[in-house]
Amino acid sequence: MTTFTPLRRSGRKAVALATSLLIGTAAAVAVAPAASADDGGKTLRMPITSIGIDSLNPFLAYFAGSLDVFAGIYPALNTVEQDGTAKPYLADSWTTSDDKLTWTFKIHKGLKWSDGKPITAEDAAWTFNLIMTNSTAATANGSLVANFASVTAPDDTTLVVRTKKPQATMLAVSVPASGIPIVPKHIWEAHVKDLKNYKNDSFPVVGYGPWTLTDYKPEQYAKYDANKEFVLGAPKYDHMIQQAFKNTDAAVAALRSGQLDYVSGLNPVQYKALKGQSGIKAYETVGNRWSGIELNGGARTRDGKKIGTGHPALGDVKVREALARAIDRATIVKKVRDNFAKVGASYLPPSLPQFAWEPSDAEKFDYDPAKANSVLDAAGYKKGSDGIRVDPKSKRKLEFRLGIHSDDDADAKVSTYLAGWFKEIGVGVDIQSMSSAKLNADLAKGDWDILMDSWSTGPDPTYLLGIQTCAALPDAKGEGGSTDSFFCDKEYDDLFLRQQSAFDETERADLLRQMQAILYKANENIMIYNANGLSAYRTDKVNGILTGSADASGAYPPQPSLAQYLNAAPTAASSSSGGTSGTVIGVSAAVVLVLAAGGVFVMRRRSSSDDRE
Amino acid sequence: MADTIDVTGADAVKTAPAPGPGRRPGSGFARYLASKLAAAAVSFLATLVIGFVLFSLMPADPVQSITRGRPTSDAQMAELRRQLGLDQSVPERFFHFVTDTLSGHLGDSWEFQQPVGSLIGDRLWPTLLLMGSATLISVALGLWLGVRSGWRHGSWLDRIATGASLTLWSVPTFWLGMILLITFSVGIGPFPGFLPAGGMSDPAITGGPDHVLDVAKHLVLPCLTMVLVVFAQYVAVMRSSIIDELGSPYLLTARAKGLRDDDVRRRHAVPNALLPSVTMIFMHLGTVLGGAITVETVYSWPGLGQLSYQALKVPDLPLLQGTFIVFSASVILMNLLADVIYRFLDPRVRAQ
Repeated sequence: MTTFTPLRRSGRKAVALATSLLIGTAAAVAVAPAASADDGGKTLRMPITSIGIDSLNPFLAYFAGSLDVFAGIYPALNTVEQDGTAKPYLADSWTTSDDKLTWTFKIHKGLKWSDGKPITAEDAAWTFNLIMTNSTAATANGSLVANFASVTAPDDTTLVVRTKKPQATMLAVSVPASGIPIVPKHIWEAHVKDLKNYKNDSFPVVGYGPWTLTDYKPEQYAKYDANKEFVLGAPKYDHMIQQAFKNTDAAVAALRSGQLDYVSGLNPVQYKALKGQSGIKAYETVGNRWSGIELNGGARTRDGKKIGTGHPALGDVKVREALARAIDRATIVKKVRDNFAKVGASYLPPSLPQFAWEPSDAEKFDYDPAKANSVLDAAGYKKGSDGIRVDPKSKRKLEFRLGIHSDDDADAKVSTYLAGWFKEIGVGVDIQSMSSAKLNADLAKGDWDILMDSWSTGPDPTYLLGIQTCAALPDAKGEGGSTDSFFCDKEYDDLFLRQQSAFDETERADLLRQMQAILYKANENIMIYNANGLSAYRTDKVNGILTGSADASGAYPPQPSLAQYLNAAPTAASSSSGGTSGTVIGVSAAVVLVLAAGGVFVMRRRSSSDDRE
Repeated sequence: MADTIDVTGADAVKTAPAPGPGRRPGSGFARYLASKLAAAAVSFLATLVIGFVLFSLMPADPVQSITRGRPTSDAQMAELRRQLGLDQSVPERFFHFVTDTLSGHLGDSWEFQQPVGSLIGDRLWPTLLLMGSATLISVALGLWLGVRSGWRHGSWLDRIATGASLTLWSVPTFWLGMILLITFSVGIGPFPGFLPAGGMSDPAITGGPDHVLDVAKHLVLPCLTMVLVVFAQYVAVMRSSIIDELGSPYLLTARAKGLRDDDVRRRHAVPNALLPSVTMIFMHLGTVLGGAITVETVYSWPGLGQLSYQALKVPDLPLLQGTFIVFSASVILMNLLADVIYRFLDPRVRAQ
């Protein structure tokens, strides 16, 4: 509309015609039945994990979406069940030497990469050695091989790993999704020099797994073909499409309209809306994450120098105990999670039953505001005229900053409850909502009092336990470190070292329980709840996507993606498109629009200047 | 005639005397263009500095954000910091940033570990498609309705158009998006849904006309959402400009000549009333590249708005700076264009 010569009448007709055509086309487009373009094969449609894919290069990628992709297209030495039992994958079997320092894996014979070249022990040895010797290759998974002394492949089916110290977690080092993916040496050798810039995007990507990646568009989709020769059993689909959905509401709509076969990460409201729908099964999985608060009990560097601006009173274990006793976890589970969660206590979530620990009744910090008040009274924190207690040592009021994630609505709800309950025991709270980036940056510097936080874990909890060791504190310059609450306890650290080389499972589980007890008593990480995973899938399209059986409360074990890929089977029903009624509505709407537009147009033409006076 | 016109930038337009005799319009235009280009270059350089300072001052530890939840040792983190250039001093980083930008390199994204240029390139086309089509449709619809509402202000058409557009203008975009999404992709009651719930295309559909149709189908809802929310601005501005012209003597003259009402409106009122709208169109064109984060999020549209939001979360400074530069450059460029076009549209600007 930037033309200034007046339109001639013929021009106007053209415009009107063009407009009607546009509207008509739009309507036609809207109701055109979806062209089914697969070659008659069945396609499994999954969402891309919400955090997305940062890179297709397995040496560089951190995001969960990428790890999911690798689980489908690159092999690992073994798989591990949620209960900790290791199962064969590339390796048929494994043995350890008497001194527990040498692991020998027997690699399955006769497997081939997707380009037809054989998969040998050398591929695995080359992958591990690259990560051990090349700092760029160590970007994502360097810490997993930190204890490796050497990795060799004496022949095509034997892989020998020697460790510096005994390592009980060896069978979690190379597993799908959370471990090291093994790559084809003959492809990657040429890319070692420019590893940092190698995007790994020549399709189909040479790999091995239930799928072969055939196409990928960032933020849009990843496409796969099934590997019908897969060693753990062929997928029952011919293709898989993973599509990116930027919010769960849209993913739910896509599930209901048939664009997706499965969604996960639902919130309680979405879950309940899907629960009763025909053709859809909504189910719960046992929580593999904790949600709670962290208290700054004294941020410091590894050599003991105090850093940050934490409130000194939080260094007093009595204050932390009082806060723990002021939290009514059951109410939060009910009000915030609609009961789709377990009341939190132990540091490790309920998805790891083999390490489960519960405080005894005597140890428990149950909700008891009266007891919390008396603990604070006894410790000398007297209430001022405004009802807020004062720290006798520093003379500062017990007013704490509570940092919450601005993009997490559960944080907002929980923090409001906390503020109310803490006020009842004479503790003021200043809720500060900030971005995750800011929150994590403040955390590392020690510039915080209380933070809301949440962590999840795979089958191996080593890392989750590791962020609570003294070794995770920042260095003398206040840099580095992956500490999550500046927790540092000598006894805990000793147990952590011992469990790393505890090859006996019951012994290791016992050490882990002792560690959880120490964490619980310290109250620097107060667990509020363990949210259940909420997912749904279309029973009219896919079968067998669930593994394991539900527990007494109806929750299934956490569902690993590899198992889903192998178990999912298409049902007889085919995909539905808009259908005829959609077409009828669309076309009639278009007709009405065109008629109305034409009518208005004609009406306006008739009016002339003499109508106006 | 309206006395003043909103022109973008800092040009206050004064009704100046006609150009003196003996001045060749050509040289005047060259000088005008040169001054505008210089101003644009200065703005761009200022933007570079502001962008760098803003993002460098953001308190954050990107390495912590990127590696969170993955087992990473100290050594790995230190290496990552070194790779990202976080160990350099701020002046050093600024020097690299300016030299890189001016030579056309936008650096490497921290979280995606690939060149920012290619990331932005990937998202450019989807953004242009969505925002471009939405802008075109809202301009056409808004101006059309605005002209007619203004011409007969107070009529039923005016009331409906103004009321509906202002109501939609005040509706939160994401909310309208969600409502449309649920209505048309899931279906309501007996009416089944017939539009996709998100994304830009169905990955299963490849090749030629089918793919084009499929993208068009995915475009309907996000585009409709954008149009419904923004077209009110054009209606309002166009309507008030037309009302301003209504009492003008030249319209009386036109009617006295016996022109039909439609012709009076089209040939005389609209061209004069268009100027403020042109300004606004260009201001909006400048922001087209910025995408619309809310609409892109609701419909999972792979655009630049999404990308900059993601970058903000980490924060991925090179990526943020890259998107910031692209957005600013497009706004500056469109303002420049508007200035130039104004000179052709409005004799009063030429007279300066």
